[in-house]
Amino acid sequence: MPAINSWPGSIICVAKAETETNAVLAEVEKYLYREVRLLDERRFEEWTDLFAEDGYYWVPAYPNQTDPYKAVSIFFDDRQVMRTRLSRLDHLNIHAQKPPSRTVHIVSNIEIDEKHDVEGEILVHSTLQMMEFRLDKQTHYGGRAQHLLLKTDDGFMLKWKRVDLINCDGVFEPLAIPF
Amino acid sequence: MTSYDTNALRGLVQSDRVHKDFYINPDVFDIEMERIFGRIWLFVGHTSQVSNNGDYLTTTVARQPVIMSRDRDGKVHVMFNRCTHRGSQVCLEQFGNTKRFECPYHAWVFNNDGSFAGAPYPKGYADGFLDKEKLDLVKLPRMEIYRGFVFVSLSKDVPDIDDFLGPMKDHIDAFCDRSPEGEVEACAGVFRYRYDGNWKLQMENQTDVYHIMFTHVSTTDEDGKQFRREGAEEDEAGKVKVLAKNSRLDDQWEEHPLGGHRHGHVYMGRFAMDKKNSGPVYDRYKASMEKAYGDQAEENMTVRTHNSIFYPNWSIQHLTQHIRVMNPISVDCTENIIIPLKLKGAPEEMWHAALRSNNNSHSPSGMVMSDDMEVWVRCHEGLKTQSTDWVILARGMNEKFSGDNTGSYESHGTSESGARNQQLAWVDYMCGQG
Repeated sequence: MPAINSWPGSIICVAKAETETNAVLAEVEKYLYREVRLLDERRFEEWTDLFAEDGYYWVPAYPNQTDPYKAVSIFFDDRQVMRTRLSRLDHLNIHAQKPPSRTVHIVSNIEIDEKHDVEGEILVHSTLQMMEFRLDKQTHYGGRAQHLLLKTDDGFMLKWKRVDLINCDGVFEPLAIPF
Repeated sequence: MTSYDTNALRGLVQSDRVHKDFYINPDVFDIEMERIFGRIWLFVGHTSQVSNNGDYLTTTVARQPVIMSRDRDGKVHVMFNRCTHRGSQVCLEQFGNTKRFECPYHAWVFNNDGSFAGAPYPKGYADGFLDKEKLDLVKLPRMEIYRGFVFVSLSKDVPDIDDFLGPMKDHIDAFCDRSPEGEVEACAGVFRYRYDGNWKLQMENQTDVYHIMFTHVSTTDEDGKQFRREGAEEDEAGKVKVLAKNSRLDDQWEEHPLGGHRHGHVYMGRFAMDKKNSGPVYDRYKASMEKAYGDQAEENMTVRTHNSIFYPNWSIQHLTQHIRVMNPISVDCTENIIIPLKLKGAPEEMWHAALRSNNNSHSPSGMVMSDDMEVWVRCHEGLKTQSTDWVILARGMNEKFSGDNTGSYESHGTSESGARNQQLAWVDYMCGQG
């Protein structure tokens, strides 16, 4: 795993999208919408491929975490674990997903972090909800998301995605689909 | 009064099968809470979860909210989370640090050792009333600590803890002695999740080798290899072969060691296919172990059991490095607490690998636990049908047991001997032979 550098001090770091050009914001929005749509459409391999080779997906199990090695995480997947996890979702005998969950992800309140001043990177804050339906039960998850996007010649690449669920330290039922 | 007298309870468990009411009947559950959970030693937490003076955590013991705290002198206490005035819980945070607990209702105050520290407007009570009345937060009737593992009993009249744990004490020792400092540390928080099924379904599952290659088949790749569980430096090199390529019931499973002791404790031996670690990090670990234990180091480093399942409701998972508590909420709902444990003094890289392994296999999104939970829920639902009254646990009834007169035995393979041993203890407790 890559060394974790420093996380932006507060996850509720408010940024002013107005000062960014509308064009960049529109591009970022489009990217985020597609990112979660890949999950809803179960295009897991394509979702994994959004991440840089040393990229990772992190859902801490406690609020205000700064280091995934200091406490347990609901998800802390590098690409290898992501591939194992998501290829399992297509396994014929993944009992926990027979029948599979249907999900819809809703991304909103998208803001580009103005304080994040690193050449070639865009730090994005958003709110994220996921509705999940399986076996006559509908579950609603919500939290704040952060995406660190890398600008490449072929568009954005995900360095990391972090989701801080409001119920991160609560009692869960089994989860299968990333937020 | 319930319809279950001793004979009826005894009739639920036969030598090779149990009646569905054993799992799904709410009256049976209520009797379990009284005669099993109310009368024997229960695991509540590890002292390292409250490592500093003033630290506390809240949890439940047999459905009753409790606080485990460390007072200003470093002593650990476990007390009921109930104000001695009008009954309110005095603390709802999962964990924290405090000198005092203050009741939200009338601000009665208790020190972090539970002692009563005062009530507002004391003149409203008769002279000396507050001094005479016992107003400290009530401690659980018994508490014992063994190598940081905190046990409590809801009854004062409980057998000696050494007698209760018996040879299972060695399993706690074996885990702690893998640390160069001889100590484990719960310093990464906990996972909590629940499933809609009876607590015993999970207890029995933990000793069930038979299900591994079927329930967990989706965690294996085309070669039948599963991601490595033990903290390893190189995941790829350390992958574990769970399934043989062309045979589902490989000899490796039938040779798998199992065993148990009286009072319902059981264990699974180490999986034959779990490789030992190797590499520079492991070499550093080995060096620190040799420094600490000399000739004993190799022995201490060898993980001999996959898990140790303590009756009635907790286990040590040696390879994935966690304590698992199965708290019954109701007859058809069970809450799990997963507490990852660090081997103090071992290389930090090993801890990072263990933590990641716990995230991958035993978090709410864990690739191993989720299939197990699915099965327990389906079992509980299926058992509600009038299809047939009995659950068959006859596997391995034909094997020769090597046992002794203390109740210890050794078994092997995909036998259901572990579940049967737990059920024998259940009958003893429920019917008065415990």
